[in-house]
Amino acid sequence: MSAQATGPETLGSLSDEAQITDPNSKQAKEISGKSPMQIAFARLRRDKIAIVCAVVVLFFVLVAIFADLIAKAFGVDLETVTACEVLECNFANPGVGYPKTGPPFNDFDPSHPFGLAPRTGADNLAHWIYGCRTSLLIAGAATLFASVFGIIVGLVAGFAGGVVDKVLSFVIDFFLTIPFLLAALTIAPIIIDRFGTSDSYETVQIASLIGILSLFGWMTVARLIRGEVLSLREREFIHAARVLGMPTKRILFRELLPNLTAPIVISISLMLPAFVAAEAGLAFLGIGVTGSASWGQTIANAVPYWSNYSLYLWEPLIGVVALVLALNLLGDAVRDAFDPKTRR
Amino acid sequence: MRRSKAAGALATSAALVTLAACGGGGGNEDETGSDGNDGFQNAAETIAKDESRQGPAPEVEGASAGGTITVYLPDDPGPEDLDPTNGWSVTGNSIQQALTHRSLTQYARDNETGEMVLVPDLATDLGSPNEDFTEWTFTIREDATWEDGKPITAEEVAWGIERSLDSEAFPSGPGTEYSKHYFLDADKYNGPYTDKGKDYEGITFDEAARTVTIKMSMPFPDMDYWGAFMAMGPAPLGKVSDPPEYGRSPLSTGPYKVESFRPSEELVLVKNDAWVAESDPARHQYADKWVFKFAADPTQTDELMLSGNTESQTALSASITAENYANFNQELGDRLVQQSAQCTSFWAPDYEKTTPEIRKALAYAYPYESVWQASGEVPGVTRVPANSIMPPGMAGKSDYQVDGEQITYQPEKAKELLAEAGEEGFEIHMAYNTGSPTTEAAQKQIEKGLTDSGFTVKSYPVPIETSLYTIWTDPDNKINKKLNLRGVNWCSDWPSGSTMIPALLRTGATYNTAFFSEPEIDEKMDEIGTLPLEEQPDAWGALDEEIATEYYPIIPTAFRNDLFAFGEKIGNPTGDGALGAPNYKDLYVAQ
Repeated sequence: MSAQATGPETLGSLSDEAQITDPNSKQAKEISGKSPMQIAFARLRRDKIAIVCAVVVLFFVLVAIFADLIAKAFGVDLETVTACEVLECNFANPGVGYPKTGPPFNDFDPSHPFGLAPRTGADNLAHWIYGCRTSLLIAGAATLFASVFGIIVGLVAGFAGGVVDKVLSFVIDFFLTIPFLLAALTIAPIIIDRFGTSDSYETVQIASLIGILSLFGWMTVARLIRGEVLSLREREFIHAARVLGMPTKRILFRELLPNLTAPIVISISLMLPAFVAAEAGLAFLGIGVTGSASWGQTIANAVPYWSNYSLYLWEPLIGVVALVLALNLLGDAVRDAFDPKTRR
Repeated sequence: MRRSKAAGALATSAALVTLAACGGGGGNEDETGSDGNDGFQNAAETIAKDESRQGPAPEVEGASAGGTITVYLPDDPGPEDLDPTNGWSVTGNSIQQALTHRSLTQYARDNETGEMVLVPDLATDLGSPNEDFTEWTFTIREDATWEDGKPITAEEVAWGIERSLDSEAFPSGPGTEYSKHYFLDADKYNGPYTDKGKDYEGITFDEAARTVTIKMSMPFPDMDYWGAFMAMGPAPLGKVSDPPEYGRSPLSTGPYKVESFRPSEELVLVKNDAWVAESDPARHQYADKWVFKFAADPTQTDELMLSGNTESQTALSASITAENYANFNQELGDRLVQQSAQCTSFWAPDYEKTTPEIRKALAYAYPYESVWQASGEVPGVTRVPANSIMPPGMAGKSDYQVDGEQITYQPEKAKELLAEAGEEGFEIHMAYNTGSPTTEAAQKQIEKGLTDSGFTVKSYPVPIETSLYTIWTDPDNKINKKLNLRGVNWCSDWPSGSTMIPALLRTGATYNTAFFSEPEIDEKMDEIGTLPLEEQPDAWGALDEEIATEYYPIIPTAFRNDLFAFGEKIGNPTGDGALGAPNYKDLYVAQ
């Protein structure tokens, strides 16, 4: 977003001069005593797109959290059904291979609002709801691990400097050079080979996916934080804290970290949709979650049915697109809200 | 002959034609129309023999020369190499035997009746056996040539046949089953590469009389059928034909030669100008070029074939997906060819680790139609319920029912059987392929069926890139050691029980994935070969029934049909009933 070329933007939104020309100047004056966080939230609240996106994201989060209850309310579940009880198995009938009730060849079936999957006869709604849970669980956990790890590495590297910084920067660069998709493709068979025979295969699969995503997701956060820390550590308040004899730990977490809220929130809000998309992408390639419901997996299964039963493909597709789009726009809005240079 | 896709073994099943349609929806039926639904087709009763047929092959009506035919083989990786001695898959053999590699005998399609006829190929007739079928003599025709124009000699044919005895060099070749079992002293001679320099007395040739003589260790009346395998054809003498290099670009003897070959991707064949039409009683050289696309994407192939665009008009697909069956049926009409194949799919419970009662319970626990639906087959068209080891159309097939009537999916009955045997909760260990929606969906159906029937299931995922056969046939594999339920898809190599029962149930046979072993049955298999020719089919049928009723070692889950989709401009769209593949020999591009 372009800012005015003349002076004020360098002074940030707290500058009185800027707010004279700003339509929001009166409100800005009123909130002048608030913390940057509060200012950001106030800005977010006024952003219509952000509110809509937040509602969409909240909807998906609620679906994920209350998946069991919602599935029960609709009377659907993930249980395997005997395919021929619900699918047309007689070759002489039209629609052989497709559900006996509901789309694509029959009227709406209230007991399966999203229809049934061809081949297996699984309920699409149940898979959609639990797919949402899988998606958010994996993306959420991966974001958490990647950001926490990235923040710690970035803080340490930036603050310690010297050899520690050199080593950590090398590790960051090293991980950036590993092609993510190639690594994921290589690791999947190893996991199958190692844990395929164990009882907890599904859990291992989810854990390994979270592991892979976080392993290749923390570097950008670490770099960002390191850069911020590098510029902050030479500032007066840090020098003051040092002179006062504050322990390093306290400087890191009490002085530096609060000043990094903005970049952290921004990177998290952009990492989340990237992981949702990556999870679906990996599942589509057949190297993600296969044991439990997953949008990407459903999309992979539904592709052959594109021309005959497009609803089957649209459902998970809309889920992924809506969630990723909402998260991305929300992330943008968050970044704008936290960025003091932004004018709106 | 095994099917390339082992996945199918678990993923296939027989299905009873359900009566589900009775309920209603008549209007619907009229709209879509259900014309052309012929249901399952049985294979030809027997394959006739015509030992006097000579080249050139009769012209196909309306055939014209020129053009390129593209063949899509969805989800089928095709042969790993092109060495004729190593070929034992429907895909590889059907292509090579029809277009590039000649052998002693071959099949020709009678375009009026649609049946296959065994006719001479490199031999001038179908061979002359001695009285008790322990010695066969083939006279090699003089006018057949290699792709470099040199004539094919009797010595080269003898050498090619001798190669088939080397099961070290060609571990998955058909010679491991037939040459090794029937040829004289084959148990002592390990083939020309393993036993280098050793003399072998079983195969002799006479260059002056142009004869090749094969001696047998036991009566082998089916040698003429065995001669139709490309493994029973010539190989160049000397180092040229050393495996595995020869398998990359073998010297062609048929109407086409290999231009390029990339395993699992593409095989391009171009006209072999040295081929003499007069020397060949069944092959044609209509198209200029053949392109085989292995492991094609099934959905893309379907879309292409249904689109009817220029590219698809001269293409054919060796399989279609179930989800588009109705569309194909409507759009293509006669160009959707349903070809019977003499194939049976089996579940093979480990003979040591299970009892007949458990195996019977397993048969009732297999959710036939549902597995089949999940694995992308069309119930009643590409799969039907099976009762015996020998597939329909095979001479002597017995219509026995192990349990009095056709076994169907009855979880309650399976539960009862298990309870009677005192084996409630019997633990099943099975492997399946992950990474493919169809195999995973089929496995889920199987697990449901087994669990509902009172079994507990432990399944071992195997990435789809690894064929299940490599696990099932490897005794040292660590997963295989744990399994007590395997599978196998088997197609007859010729229409005789001798290519089904011994290959699947003889002690130590490669594809005896049940590890069934009863010396008494082994003896009976050998005995049948000594019976008079006309009694043999019924003897095989009787043995089939005896094995099933007494031991029930393997559970037949389905008999199979294949569906081929032909482009608009492909002339004479037909299938090859002997191999269960498109009839490549007689196809042409209509101008």
